[in-house]
Amino acid sequence: MGDIRQSLLPRDVLSAAKELLYHLDIYICNLVQSGRQPPQVDSKTLELVEEFILHAPKDRNTPTRRMSALQELQLLEIMCSCFQEQSRDTVRQLMFSALFNLQGNQADESRMALLSKLVSMAIAVGRVPILECAATWLQRTHRVYCVRLAQVLVDDYCSMVPGSVPTLQNIHSASPRFCCQFITAVTTLYDLTSEELSPPLELLQMIVSWIQDDPRLVLITFLNTPLSGNQPISSLDVTPLGGLMRWCIKAPLAYRSDKKQALSSGGCESEQEVGPLFSALHLSVLQVLMLLPTILNEKGLYGRLALLQMEALAALVSDLSRLLDQADKHTHLSSADVHTLSQLALDRLAQALQVSMASGALLCSREDLRAICSRLPHNNLLQLVLSGPVMYYNNIHTPPLAFSPHAAHSPITSHPTHPTHPTHPTHPTHPMTPTHPTLPTHPAHTPHAPLATHPSAHPQYPAQPFMTGMPFPYRPSH
Amino acid sequence: MSAQKDCEFLVKRARELVSDDPCAAKAWLITARTLYPSDFNIQYEMYTIERNAERTASAGRLLYDMFINFPDQPIVWREISVITAALRSDSQDKQAQFLRGLFETLPGRVQCEMLLKATEQCFNTLEKAEMLLLLLKRFPESVVQHGVWDYTADLSFLVNVTLITLHCLFAPAVCDVLPLVINNMDMRLPASLMQKYMLKAAEFYIGYVTRGPSADAQIQGKGTQEALKSPSVPRTSQRYVIDGLSEKSSLVAEPWERLLDILAVVGARCEWQGDKGQRSYVDMLQRVKELCRYLPGLEGDTRARCCSQVVICAALVLFRSAFLYISAVQPALFQGVNALSSGPWILVEDLSSVYSEVELERGVVKHAHKKRKLPDGREKTMSSDDEEGSGKGRGRHILLNKTEMPGWAETLESFRTARESWDLLHSHDGLESEFKKICAAWKTDSWLWFRIFLTDMIIYQGQYRKALSSLHQMAAVQQPQPGQQSPSGQVTLEHHRALIQQASCHYALGEYKRACEKLLDVVGALMPPNQEQTKASEDQGRVKTKTRKGNDLRLLPCTCKAVLPFCLQLMLACFKLRAFTDNRDDLSLGHVVVLLQHDWPQGELLFLKAIDKICQQGSFQYENFFNYVTNIDMLEEFAYLRTPEGGRIQLELLPNQGMLIKNPSPALGVELNTLLLQGVQTMERHHTVTRGITKGVKEDFRLAMERQVSRCGENLLSVLHRFCINEKIIIIQSLP
Repeated sequence: MGDIRQSLLPRDVLSAAKELLYHLDIYICNLVQSGRQPPQVDSKTLELVEEFILHAPKDRNTPTRRMSALQELQLLEIMCSCFQEQSRDTVRQLMFSALFNLQGNQADESRMALLSKLVSMAIAVGRVPILECAATWLQRTHRVYCVRLAQVLVDDYCSMVPGSVPTLQNIHSASPRFCCQFITAVTTLYDLTSEELSPPLELLQMIVSWIQDDPRLVLITFLNTPLSGNQPISSLDVTPLGGLMRWCIKAPLAYRSDKKQALSSGGCESEQEVGPLFSALHLSVLQVLMLLPTILNEKGLYGRLALLQMEALAALVSDLSRLLDQADKHTHLSSADVHTLSQLALDRLAQALQVSMASGALLCSREDLRAICSRLPHNNLLQLVLSGPVMYYNNIHTPPLAFSPHAAHSPITSHPTHPTHPTHPTHPTHPMTPTHPTLPTHPAHTPHAPLATHPSAHPQYPAQPFMTGMPFPYRPSH
Repeated sequence: MSAQKDCEFLVKRARELVSDDPCAAKAWLITARTLYPSDFNIQYEMYTIERNAERTASAGRLLYDMFINFPDQPIVWREISVITAALRSDSQDKQAQFLRGLFETLPGRVQCEMLLKATEQCFNTLEKAEMLLLLLKRFPESVVQHGVWDYTADLSFLVNVTLITLHCLFAPAVCDVLPLVINNMDMRLPASLMQKYMLKAAEFYIGYVTRGPSADAQIQGKGTQEALKSPSVPRTSQRYVIDGLSEKSSLVAEPWERLLDILAVVGARCEWQGDKGQRSYVDMLQRVKELCRYLPGLEGDTRARCCSQVVICAALVLFRSAFLYISAVQPALFQGVNALSSGPWILVEDLSSVYSEVELERGVVKHAHKKRKLPDGREKTMSSDDEEGSGKGRGRHILLNKTEMPGWAETLESFRTARESWDLLHSHDGLESEFKKICAAWKTDSWLWFRIFLTDMIIYQGQYRKALSSLHQMAAVQQPQPGQQSPSGQVTLEHHRALIQQASCHYALGEYKRACEKLLDVVGALMPPNQEQTKASEDQGRVKTKTRKGNDLRLLPCTCKAVLPFCLQLMLACFKLRAFTDNRDDLSLGHVVVLLQHDWPQGELLFLKAIDKICQQGSFQYENFFNYVTNIDMLEEFAYLRTPEGGRIQLELLPNQGMLIKNPSPALGVELNTLLLQGVQTMERHHTVTRGITKGVKEDFRLAMERQVSRCGENLLSVLHRFCINEKIIIIQSLP
C-alpha cells in the first residue's frame, strides 16, 4: 500500500485523506479476506495514516500540511460515513485501530485530538458503529488516554455547550458498551481529590439515572469480554464499580469541595440534590454487586476473579482517612455535621466492603480488611463488618433449616483466628475451641489457583446463600 | 454482641433512615442480609420497604425469597394470604390492585408453587375452596402435575362441612372447579364419582336458581307487601349475592344451561346411551323415555348405568320444569325471577260453569245425601282417592286468563313436562328408589317451591285428600304468627293461597261446609274492590269454557279482584246443590239468590229455577233478603211473587217478621209498582206487593222494598263481601 503515497502527495489535504481512507478500506478488506491470523496492518500503512490523515510531520524536510477547520470537519464527516457504511465489524474495528491505536510516537497527540473530535461528533449525530469501536479502544488503551478522551467528552457536553447533556445521555441506549466504558473512564478521571477532579453535577445526575434505569449497564463490558487474563496493563478497570464506590464513599467529605463552585454559580439547590444522588448511586452499586455471584458462577470465576483490587481499596481507605482528618479542621462546618458526614462515609465504606466480599467481587479476608482499615475512626457498622457476623447464629426468629448455610455445620465460632478482637470477643458460651480443625485461617480450599489475592476467608458463605431463591432473572427496579 | 443484637441494630438503623433516605435504608439492609442471610427480620424489613413504596417487582422478588427461605414464618403466610385474598376479590382499591400486581410479577411456576402451599395451609374450608379455584383457574395443569387432585378428588371435603352454607361452598367448587375437573381427560374418574359430582352440581345450581329473596331484598322490595292488591309490582332487587362470597363469584349466568353442559360432559364420560350433543331438556326427556322402554330387558351394569342416566336426566327435567312452572305461578318465592305482570296464581277447580249446570247438578244432587259427589259426576268415596288418583287426572284442562299471564303456554307446558318426568321416575321401582335417594340427599322435602308443585300436581291428578294434607302441612309452616302478620305481605298472601286451594279441594271432595269455612276465612281478610272491573275478562274466559263439564282446573290470579268472585262462585256451587234438592231449604236457596247477583245476568237461569222452586213451595223465608239483595231484576221478581199474578207467594223476607199474607194493599201497591217497575213495559199495573193481615207488615215490606230500590246503585261486591263477613256463621251452619 506504500506505493500509493506518490499519488497522494500531489493532492490537497482533504482529497488525499479521502483517497487514503478509500484505499485503507480496500486494503483491510483484502487483509481480512486473506484469512491471515492475526490480521495485521503493516507499518507502511500506519505511516501513511500518520502522514495524510493525522498530518504528523514525517521528517523535517517535508512541510507540515495542515487542514483548515472546515476541511477537518469534512474529513470527520467522511470518516463517520465510512465507519457507518462498513458493514463488517472486523473491518471496521481494524480500520479504527489503524487510525487511532496509539503508537507511542509524535503522531499520538494529533491521533488523540482527531479521535476525541470523531467520538464527540459520533455522539452528537448518533453513529453507533463508531461508539462501539471507541468502546473497544477504551478497553485496550492505557487509562491515561482513556481519561483524556473522557475529559474531552465531558468538556464538550457538560461544560462547553449548556443544554447538550441530553445528547450525551443518549449514548446509554445507543451503545451501552461505550456508555459503560465512559463511566469507568469518568470515575477514573474524577477521583474527588480536588475541586477540578469532582464530577460536574450534570454528569453525576446522568450517571445515576443510567445506572438506576439499568444496573447491569455497569457490568456490560465485563459480561461481554472473554476474560483471557491478557488485559492490557494499565487499562481501565473492567467495571466502574471501584470508581463509583470511591465517589460514594468520599463524596460526603470530598464533594463539598465543589460547594464553593456551586454557590458561586448560584446553584444552591444543586447542593441539596447531591446527597440523595450519591445515596442512590451507592445503593445501585450494592445492588449491582449483588448480581455478581450468579454471573461469576456462570462464568466459573467465583472466588477466582477479583473485580475490585485490594490496592485500590487500600488507596481509597487512606484517602478517606486523610479526608476524615481534614474534616475536623474545616471551620465552616459544625462538629455535629462533620460527625454525621464522617459516619456516613464510614457506613458506606463498611457496606461496600461487606457486600463486595459477600458477592465475590473482593477477594480478601476480614483480617486483610482490618489491616487496611486500622487507622479509621470508630464506626459501628464497620466494626461489625471487620469482625464479621457472629457465626453461632442462634436466631430466635428462624428455626434451623436445611437450606441454612450453617445447618450443615456444627455451630462455628465467629472468629476462631481472632479471638482477641476488641469488639468481638469470642463467645464465652461457645463450646467449641477456637482452633477448630475444619476452619483453617486461610483455607486453601480452591482447587484452581485464584486469579487474585485470597479467596473468601469465609467458606461458610459458599455461593451467595442469600440468593438461593433466585431462580429467575431478577432486575431490581431502582 | 450476639447475632440477634447485630440484626436488631441493623434493622433499627434501616428503620431510622427509611423516611429521609430510603436508598440508604436499603443499602443498610442489603449489607445486613449479606451478614446474616438467614435472619428473617432483615428480609421482612426489605420487603416492607418495597411494599410500602408499591414497587411490585422488587416486593414480589423479596416475598418469594421469604417464601422459600422462611416457610414457617407466620408473617410470610399472613402476607401471602393477604395477597391471595386480593386475588380472589374483585376489589378495585389501590392496595388490592398493588397486591395483585405484585403477584403477577412472579413467574408462573412460582405463583403456582405459592398458591399450592397457600392452599395447603388453608384451614378455612371456604378459603380452601376459593384457593383451589384460583389455582385451577390459573394453573389447570396443576390438577395433574402437582396433585391438586388430592384435594379435589373427594369434593366431599367441601360437602361435609355443614357450618357454612351450601352456596358458599359450592359456588366456587361447582361453577368453576368442577368443569375443570371433569373436562380434564387426563384424570380417569369412575362413573360413580362423575355422577356424584353431577348431582352435586345439580344440587348447587337448583339451590342457586331457587334461592329465596334474601333479607335485604325483602326490605328493598317492600312492594311484596301489596302483592295481593297489585301483583304487577316488579321486584326491584336484582342483586343476588351468595352468602359469604364476593359479588363477583356469586353471580351464576345461565345456571340451567351450565348444568346441561356439565351433564353433557358427564354423560359422555359415563358412556350414556345416545347422549350425543343433546341441547335441550325437552330432548333429554324424550330420549330417556325411549331408553326406559328397554330398561326391563337390561341386566347388571348396563341396567344400572341406564337407570342412573334415566333418573339423573328425568330428575333434572323434573326440577327444571317444576321450577319454571312455580316461577310463573309463585314468582315471589324466588330471587331473580322477574315477577313483572304476573302475580301469584292458584290452581283451583274451574267454576265458570257454575251458573249453567242446573240440570246436571240436580241429577247428581238426588243422591247427595248418600254419597259424596265430585262435580264432574264421578262417584267418589271419601277415603280412597289415593290409589285411584293418578289415573284419573289425565287430560284435564287448565284454564286461565291468557291476557294476564303472557307466558301461559310455556307455563302449562312446563307443568305438563314436570308431571311427565315425575311419572317416568315412578314408572319402575328401580327408578323410583334411585330418585328417592336423590330427593333424600337433597332434602327436597324442605323445598317449599317443590312442595307447591307437588301439591298442584296431585290436585291435577285428582288426589284431593293427599293435596289437602300437603296443604295443611304447608299452611302450618306458613301460618302467620300474631306478631309478624305484616309487613311481610308475602306470608298472608301465601296463607290465602293455601286456604283457597284447600277450599277448592274440599269442594272437589264434596266437603262443602269445610270449603266454605276456608273461603270465608279468606274473604274476611280481603278488602272489597271499589269497582267491579273483572266483568269483561271473566266473560271472555267463560264463553270459551261454557261447554266444559266441570272436570277442568283453573289458574286463578291471587288478587282480590279475582279471589272474591271465585269465592262467591264456589259458595254458590256449594249452596246450589242443597238449594235445589227436593227437600225444602229456604236458607240455602236464599244464599243462592244472594250469590246469584254476582255476575248477573249469568245466573239468570238458576235464579228462575229458584223462583220456580219458591213458587212450588208457595212460601219462602229468608230474613237477610233485604240486607243483601239489591239486584233490581230480583227485587222486581220477588215483588211480583206476592201479587196474585205471581201466585201470592208468602214471603218472609224481613228480620224477625211474622208470615206475610198474600193480600196486597192496592194503594200501596200502585205506588211501589211505579217505583219498582219503571222500566218494565209489560208489567201490569196491579197491587203487587202486599196484602198483609196487619197494615204494619205491609208497610214494613213496602218500605223495605222502597229502600232496597234506592240501594240498587250500591257496589255489589261490597254488599256481597259484607254478606260473607256478617253471615259467616249462618252460612257455615247452613251446610251439613
